Amino acid sequence: MSAKLATSRLGPGPIPVRAGIGLRAEHYDVLLETRPPVGWLEIHSENYFGAGGKPLDYLERIRAHYPLSLHGVGLSIGSTDPLNHWHLTQLKRLIQRFEPALVSEHLSWGSAGGRYLNDLLPLPCTEEALYHLIARVAQVQDILGRQILIENISSYLQYTHSTIPEWEFLAELAERAGCGVLLDVNNIYVSARNHGFDPDTYLRAIPQRAVQEIHLAGFTVNRFEGGEILIDTHNQPVCPAVWALYRQAVQRFGPRPTLIEWDTGLPELAVLVNEAQQADAILEERHARAA
Amino acid sequence: MLALHELQQRFATAVLGEDDSGFERAIHAAGLTGAQRLQVYRNNTRLGLTGALAAVYPVVQQLVGEGFFHYAAAQYITRYPSRSGNLHEFGGPFATFLETFEPAAGLSYLPDVARLEWAYHEVFHAAHHAPLDLSALAAVPAERQGELRFQLHPAARLLESSFPILCIWQAHQNVDHDHPPVRLDDGGIKLMVFRHENLDIEFQSLPDGEFHLLYALVTGCNFATACEQAISAQPGFDLPASFRRHVLQGALTAFYLPDTSSSIHDHP
Repeated sequence: MSAKLATSRLGPGPIPVRAGIGLRAEHYDVLLETRPPVGWLEIHSENYFGAGGKPLDYLERIRAHYPLSLHGVGLSIGSTDPLNHWHLTQLKRLIQRFEPALVSEHLSWGSAGGRYLNDLLPLPCTEEALYHLIARVAQVQDILGRQILIENISSYLQYTHSTIPEWEFLAELAERAGCGVLLDVNNIYVSARNHGFDPDTYLRAIPQRAVQEIHLAGFTVNRFEGGEILIDTHNQPVCPAVWALYRQAVQRFGPRPTLIEWDTGLPELAVLVNEAQQADAILEERHARAA
Repeated sequence: MLALHELQQRFATAVLGEDDSGFERAIHAAGLTGAQRLQVYRNNTRLGLTGALAAVYPVVQQLVGEGFFHYAAAQYITRYPSRSGNLHEFGGPFATFLETFEPAAGLSYLPDVARLEWAYHEVFHAAHHAPLDLSALAAVPAERQGELRFQLHPAARLLESSFPILCIWQAHQNVDHDHPPVRLDDGGIKLMVFRHENLDIEFQSLPDGEFHLLYALVTGCNFATACEQAISAQPGFDLPASFRRHVLQGALTAFYLPDTSSSIHDHP
């Protein structure tokens, strides 16, 4: 990238069209010492909801060197429970303090009757759920005073009363709530294998202008008696089939900021940086072709 | 058609409890049955919440072993469900749960070890606070000092146990090193979990007088009453030195005199 990025009082501003990595506590020190050439960092917002201490202290120092994206895992935006305003207040405080270029949540729910399962649970793809989501996303964007991105999740079940394909549901949500899409290519692959649809159908349904970020990660195959199921575990490298689907996505949507996610069995930072470089190479090919 | 609200209630019940009667019929069975697919979510939820508990309570887990810990966590999750989308808030009542958790009844010290670990967790995430304004404190007229009230640093917690929980905790920090054996009849401990300005967290074992001084202050007693309670708990202890130490290390962060125009001397 030859263009110089604008820098806020905190550090670099916009997310460059490059690969970034998820920031995890185990990597704080080595990241500060070595400052690897990744384009940007993404955090799980809730890990920084505390009032003080080391997480916020490290984030402050790291933010000085990298553009930042906030990725929420606990808002439960698709729940029919009232929106959790305490959660949103903490998210807003984090946004004001660290000025992230992107803020994202999931196309999911995670709580019912005030009990949280702290998981990303699938919504039925019905008109009722779609209208609910449109209203909730609009409400969250109003409260935060900014656009958010909504990410497609991996799912392990489909409801018998769903009437709309998930890709149409997400496209419609983006169109009508005015949110962006965080397209998780690994999640498309996992759900496609689990439910037997063509991932290309998913990619073709999502409007190009809505996609502002892409996620990549590794999954695990669990074998059951009578079948197998892919679980979105974020515990290994991106597999060749997902790299291939990523090339297709970049082909269709154009180069987009791309994140390597790794959450469990976290390897050395260098492994993540290497994965990010592979994504960068694919983005570069597309840049070069466009030039 | 299953309404979204009802679907979520039944899904949560099916995942948290055993009762999923009929709900699996709302799920497509293709290759795997609806019940098997629900089981994936049951596992994910249990593993996620158990992992969050294990991150806060590593010593409890070492004391009881991984298998027992997972069993206890599974019971805990249904009796004290998570109430927040922030997993760092999960697990506060674990000590209370362990007190009545029959299979752990033989480990009478376990709830207090859990309390120590939760205190550490809270202190780790607590707010920053500037030290107390010493010149303002020095300006309080001598005849009014007894009326002073103090605030404890947000990243400080006082704990009291009739078991040697600090020795137990320390013996499980670096398992590669030899530690002197913990003797339960060594008796209890009063301590403060305190986060220093550099964010390092320290367990400070407190003599009786010092503990009662700080405990009285955090529970709202004025300075004179706190001093009386400290001295009666430990006659002859060096109260001025102890008080000075806690002011200087920042454990006491703000003070105020009631019923005067001078408001709280607080520099957050």
